[in-house]
Amino acid sequence: MAVVTISREPGAWGEELAARVAGYLGFSLIDKKSLAQIWDEINPDEAALCVVNESGARESGVSVAQNGDCAGLSGDLIAQLAEEQDLVVIGRGAQGLFHDRPGTLHVRVVAPRRFRIRQAQILEGLSAREAGRRIRSIEELRARHLRSIYGISAADPNLYDLTLRMDRLSVEQALKLIVTAVDEMGLRQVPRGKIVSGLVPESFEKRGRGRFANAAEIEFARFLEFYHIPYDYEPRTFPLEYDGNGKVTEAFTPDFYLREQDLYIELTTMKQSLVTRKNRKVRKLRRLYPDVRILIFYQRDFYSLMAKYGLLAGRKQPDPERISR
Amino acid sequence: MKVRKLDNDGMADDVAAGIADVLISAEAIQKRVAEMGGEVGAAFRGVLPLLVGVLKGCALFMSDLVRHIGIPLEMDFICLTGYGGAGRPSGAARITKDLDSAIEGRDVLLVEGIIDTGMTAGYLLRNLEARQPRSIRVCTLLDKPARRIVDIPIAFRGFQVPDRFVVGYGLDFRQLYRNLPYLGVLSDDVTGLNLPAKK
Repeated sequence: MAVVTISREPGAWGEELAARVAGYLGFSLIDKKSLAQIWDEINPDEAALCVVNESGARESGVSVAQNGDCAGLSGDLIAQLAEEQDLVVIGRGAQGLFHDRPGTLHVRVVAPRRFRIRQAQILEGLSAREAGRRIRSIEELRARHLRSIYGISAADPNLYDLTLRMDRLSVEQALKLIVTAVDEMGLRQVPRGKIVSGLVPESFEKRGRGRFANAAEIEFARFLEFYHIPYDYEPRTFPLEYDGNGKVTEAFTPDFYLREQDLYIELTTMKQSLVTRKNRKVRKLRRLYPDVRILIFYQRDFYSLMAKYGLLAGRKQPDPERISR
Repeated sequence: MKVRKLDNDGMADDVAAGIADVLISAEAIQKRVAEMGGEVGAAFRGVLPLLVGVLKGCALFMSDLVRHIGIPLEMDFICLTGYGGAGRPSGAARITKDLDSAIEGRDVLLVEGIIDTGMTAGYLLRNLEARQPRSIRVCTLLDKPARRIVDIPIAFRGFQVPDRFVVGYGLDFRQLYRNLPYLGVLSDDVTGLNLPAKK
């Protein structure tokens, strides 16, 4: 099956790009989190130990030798997955793991340090100094991991088919370049003409740069993208009240706008007792802008949605072993 | 909709563990499904409809429904990956079991067990419409409009249900409860819905 590996400098939009490429091509995204979950499903006892750890060994207290063992196991698992499905692999030393593998596109995502520090500042609310330190630390850990496991340096240009400078390209442009490379190399199983326009997910770029306020908004955005629902994040602020000088004194910015549904969605994970103010604003918005369709997703609505997909930690389900007896 | 006290309809306790209430009894389901079969048969008289069942939730409903449709018809099934949260490998919905036949020029009836947010049905409608059927209509046993995000034109509706977590008669929670002959409300304790609220 086809594999796209994406090696990224920290702060260069690699994660967003990988997710976007996977969504566009319909490939499975393999990152640290998904790998940990797969591990957990396969062997929960070893999962905690073997959540590899490219930025690694020191962070978790696992020794270098153990980290090497885990990397080997994770490498085996990723290689096995690549036999079964098309993958986009972000990090994980995949440029080393799949170095000479046919049917593989190796992408390197870079940006000048100043740009990456700025991104880290914006996304994580760090000072320039803290962001610089964070980036340097991640770089060192990743470099050590690649050197010890695969004996390579991420900076070696011979490891990559395509290198993208993210301070000069948008995520959307980078996506198009990767998709073009994938098609030119004949990696995609489904011909381009068979892809129905409008069924491709929307850009993660806006999502990332929009800086979601909380984990629920990120999860909801993923949910929309999963079903290919085009949306904008906080695209419009509705003035609700003005003072005597015409200055806006109260306004409301719904979280999501679903373009095809012409529907705004306000997501709140506050307890029901704390949403009175928000309810009042929504009522006012409906009164002032009667043509605007808005839906509030309360905490329970959101959790119901997650529960529907079995994503909440409910009571343990019946044990098939026990039932079969 | 009135919720009545739990009656397991003869199922073993294990099968119904975690069911808080019976929302719609097996008898009420069978009665309504028979009516729906008549409605569908009348609507498609003179054509050969292709019923497309959305797996796995439609399984019991569709098998009962077709027995009450008194005209010739064809059946096919389609299956979509379910949303698995942030940790799942795939970031986009994918068809895991596609139709066996082309639907271009056909009269299609998409058969769902339940329409909730409308995301799954909306995705499938867009996908199927791209294949240029002559017509496509939607039939669902349950319509739960409380959190509808994508508007779905429902032509045939069994029951409109309140905002409760419904399982049974083909509908599952983590793949369980599909074999219940009635539609039950799952307790918050099982779904985990009681946990976040305590935070």
